[in-house]
Amino acid sequence: MEDTQTVEGTQPLRNDLRIGVYVCHCGKNIGGTVRCAEVAEYARNLPGVILSQDSLYTCSEPGQDQIKSDIRQHKLNRVVVASCTPRLHEPTFRAACQSAGLNPYLLEMANIREHCSWVHLHNKDAATEKAKELVAMAVSRAANLSPQLELTVPVIRKALVIGGGVAGIQAALDMADAGYKVYLVERSGSIGGRMAQIDKTFPTMDCSICILAPKMSEVGRHPNIELLTLSEVAEVSGHIGNFKVRVKKRARYVTNECTACGDCIEACPQLSPDEFEAGLCIRRAIYIPFPQAVPSKFMIDMDHCLNNQGIVACDRCYQACEHKCIDFADSDRMLDLEVGAIVVATGVDVYDPTPLTELGYGKFPNVITTLEFERLINAGGPSGGELIRPSDRRRPQKVAFLQCIGSRSKRSNPYCSNVCCMNTIKDALLIKEHWPETEIYVFYIDIRAFGKGFEDLFMRARREGVVFIRGVPGEIIEDIRTDDLTLLGENTLLGRHYKYQMDMVILSVGIRPRAGAEALQRMLNLSADTDGFYMEAHPKLRPVDTTTGGVFLAGAAEGPKDIKDSVTQASAAASRVNILMSRGQVSIPAITAKIDPDKCTACGLCARVCPYHAIEGGKDLGYFRVIEAACQGCGACVPECRFGAIDQTHFKEEQLTSQIDRALERDPQNKILAFACNWCSYAGADFAGVSRIQYPPSVRIIRTMCSGRVSPRWIEKAFLKEAAAVLVSGCHPADCHYNNANRQTAARVERFWKKMERLGMNKDRLRLAWVSAAEGAQFAKVIKEMDGLVKGLSLEEIRRDAELLRQSLEKKSKES
Amino acid sequence: MTTLRLWQHFNREDLYECYQCARCTGSCPAMEVAPAIGPRETILRCLNVGHQQVAEDERLWLCCTCHVCEDRCPQQIPIGDLLVALRNSAARRGNIPGRLGMAIELLAKTGRSMIVHQLDEMRAHHGLEPLQPVAADEIREILRKTGLKEVIEF
Repeated sequence: MEDTQTVEGTQPLRNDLRIGVYVCHCGKNIGGTVRCAEVAEYARNLPGVILSQDSLYTCSEPGQDQIKSDIRQHKLNRVVVASCTPRLHEPTFRAACQSAGLNPYLLEMANIREHCSWVHLHNKDAATEKAKELVAMAVSRAANLSPQLELTVPVIRKALVIGGGVAGIQAALDMADAGYKVYLVERSGSIGGRMAQIDKTFPTMDCSICILAPKMSEVGRHPNIELLTLSEVAEVSGHIGNFKVRVKKRARYVTNECTACGDCIEACPQLSPDEFEAGLCIRRAIYIPFPQAVPSKFMIDMDHCLNNQGIVACDRCYQACEHKCIDFADSDRMLDLEVGAIVVATGVDVYDPTPLTELGYGKFPNVITTLEFERLINAGGPSGGELIRPSDRRRPQKVAFLQCIGSRSKRSNPYCSNVCCMNTIKDALLIKEHWPETEIYVFYIDIRAFGKGFEDLFMRARREGVVFIRGVPGEIIEDIRTDDLTLLGENTLLGRHYKYQMDMVILSVGIRPRAGAEALQRMLNLSADTDGFYMEAHPKLRPVDTTTGGVFLAGAAEGPKDIKDSVTQASAAASRVNILMSRGQVSIPAITAKIDPDKCTACGLCARVCPYHAIEGGKDLGYFRVIEAACQGCGACVPECRFGAIDQTHFKEEQLTSQIDRALERDPQNKILAFACNWCSYAGADFAGVSRIQYPPSVRIIRTMCSGRVSPRWIEKAFLKEAAAVLVSGCHPADCHYNNANRQTAARVERFWKKMERLGMNKDRLRLAWVSAAEGAQFAKVIKEMDGLVKGLSLEEIRRDAELLRQSLEKKSKES
Repeated sequence: MTTLRLWQHFNREDLYECYQCARCTGSCPAMEVAPAIGPRETILRCLNVGHQQVAEDERLWLCCTCHVCEDRCPQQIPIGDLLVALRNSAARRGNIPGRLGMAIELLAKTGRSMIVHQLDEMRAHHGLEPLQPVAADEIREILRKTGLKEVIEF
């Protein structure tokens, strides 16, 4: 592997700079607020710039061609594009540079859309001035850039799928069929997931298990799939192409010889609610989740087995088993897997409506949820497919469905759960199919029948006589003698208050992320939206990728979706993995840390803060060095070095300090200097832009990969330059993309606050804020608050603080 | 003037979040027994025909401010506050139902909102002490300080 240090032209010749600046209008997105021609004109006079122009769409084919031909014709050796966020188009422009023969690391972007035009829509002058400064900052960083070569590493041609619902099954089958080894990890005793529990699917009314079971058995017998049930991912390390995954496989207590004959069931004396049947009936402690389960093996629920204390107190199942395939000594095991890619298909839980006390769920026996209904109406369910009321097992004559339970509400899930409307319509038709005389009332707010064939189904339900009433009941009252239910509400279309008496009420409950989704989110360094669903890398163009390379999303874990969409997304995720597998290698961004052996004193402080143990060496060996393949490029080690011996490739000290210098060149006393990490805070600021959340234009954002890269020396520099306020922002604690490297951030800011306090500085001027990629509003709020603080500061105060800091630094340097 | 006052006491933007699910009306005890407008329609009218008209409607006063609608509102719109703000606006234009005016007058005069001399007979019958007179002047002072005097004569 070629060392990046040896790339030709690593040391830029400062007097030979030929920078080209391209200011993008992005149609009206930037051009409607920022006067782009004026910005381009301003950039023309910046040092090193030999060419500057504005264009309508720089990312378009002609826009890119212009850059390419300029690189060739004008011998540009740096390119600055002022447009949208680098998180969107940096790869585009890097590719353009590369194709014209310019090293892609010599491109720099100024984010004048998400961080400027979109957040200062009504302040054209300030937005234009800010855009100029953002371009100036980018130009000075560009001047300090060096060409880099990316390290390539081989991809392990095996994949891991987490979750064995329909999405996980589809993704696993697609990849296995493509010829790669797939590990399918499922938490419960069988694959099948939510789809296995559902009776029929909409809009075609297919029998759910009938179409799923063949796929399930295909997984069971596929030579390329290793199915790990009763298993959970415990630990993940590594990176794209080379993940090390530790899986905890819980004991099944039944060996592989089990033929699922069922002789043991009769023998078992222990009972427990049946999870698969939504708790509507009971099962034994030894059980198979459902008849079509894959693997078709029994298992023992040790929480309910009499032998759960480690002593064999009951061996009735063992006695009943002809093949003697029960093993009470079975124990949990840890498996270590090595995979190149991971597909996350963890699915959803259903909303528990117990907190909505006015509906009486859990209190009135005849109020049930749609999931319970699916099991009631299923021929394999507890009632053998008979629709009965739980209170008296009588068939209900009048049934009500209540929509949006637990969805579209600040009291529960604020989002629309996507599947409930069609599910209810399907359920209503199922009842009509079996018992046409049943009266069915659907109480709704809006019926969202947006998919292919959905409107037809809605129409069919109306024709079959299902009554749709607009207005959800506010309260359900139970008649304690008959267990009948009275619904109180308003028919909003008639404007009339109603009272309906019903035999049974079915709550059309919403869906929410799986319990435990957060733990996996942390293990895989994923982002989650405010609703708790995993976030895709881009909502439109990278809908199955995540911000962690090599990790892809499938199914409802990414957001509520129906079976068809889950399967589609699973195939998409599998195809993304296949791209990785067939290419066989990946490039690692050239952003690793480097230690200068001449300056290193082998103190070892850097190795202590490295979250990846990527720094090796020792005091006795006399050196420390970075293991390039293990370094993830957070840069948390750099500020730790007291001797300036470490620097981070492409995020070099002088590259970042030149940005600080530029940002605070003019009017620093009214400015906020913000450091934002690439994955959370910078993305959060982008999200504020995308959401058009307006905030004051006084902030200048500098991007680092991790907030752990932010050096106290930069904060010092900013205050010495009389910046009014400094913001350090990163991912929420435990959400850090670099294995909690942001703990260093917190510790360093804490120390700086102490120092400010000691010197008598106003410590409110330094702020630490955790902002996730989904928290655009939070970012805007922080900036608004800080701007308020800045407006209240006097020039004397800022200058006094700078003087206090300067004196302390002088004193320190004299001492040493 | 009244417009300003109403939206000073209630954030108009909260109303935009209402999607007319009518859980509030289903929860409303007044709707069960009286021809009230109901919270849902009150919000819709404020948005679509203007709050001035809503404030002119005497049915506004049928709300018993139990706040159950607010408790069950999925969008957590402070409906109770809206109704209080609307009534204030109505009252400032002299738009108070006559019976309510009488009750206030009674409260100001006697310190009680209802006539109690019959109650005393009943209390005597059960061997209870007659009700003690209340400090009506203090109550009048409170009513005056809250600004009720500007709206209604008592």
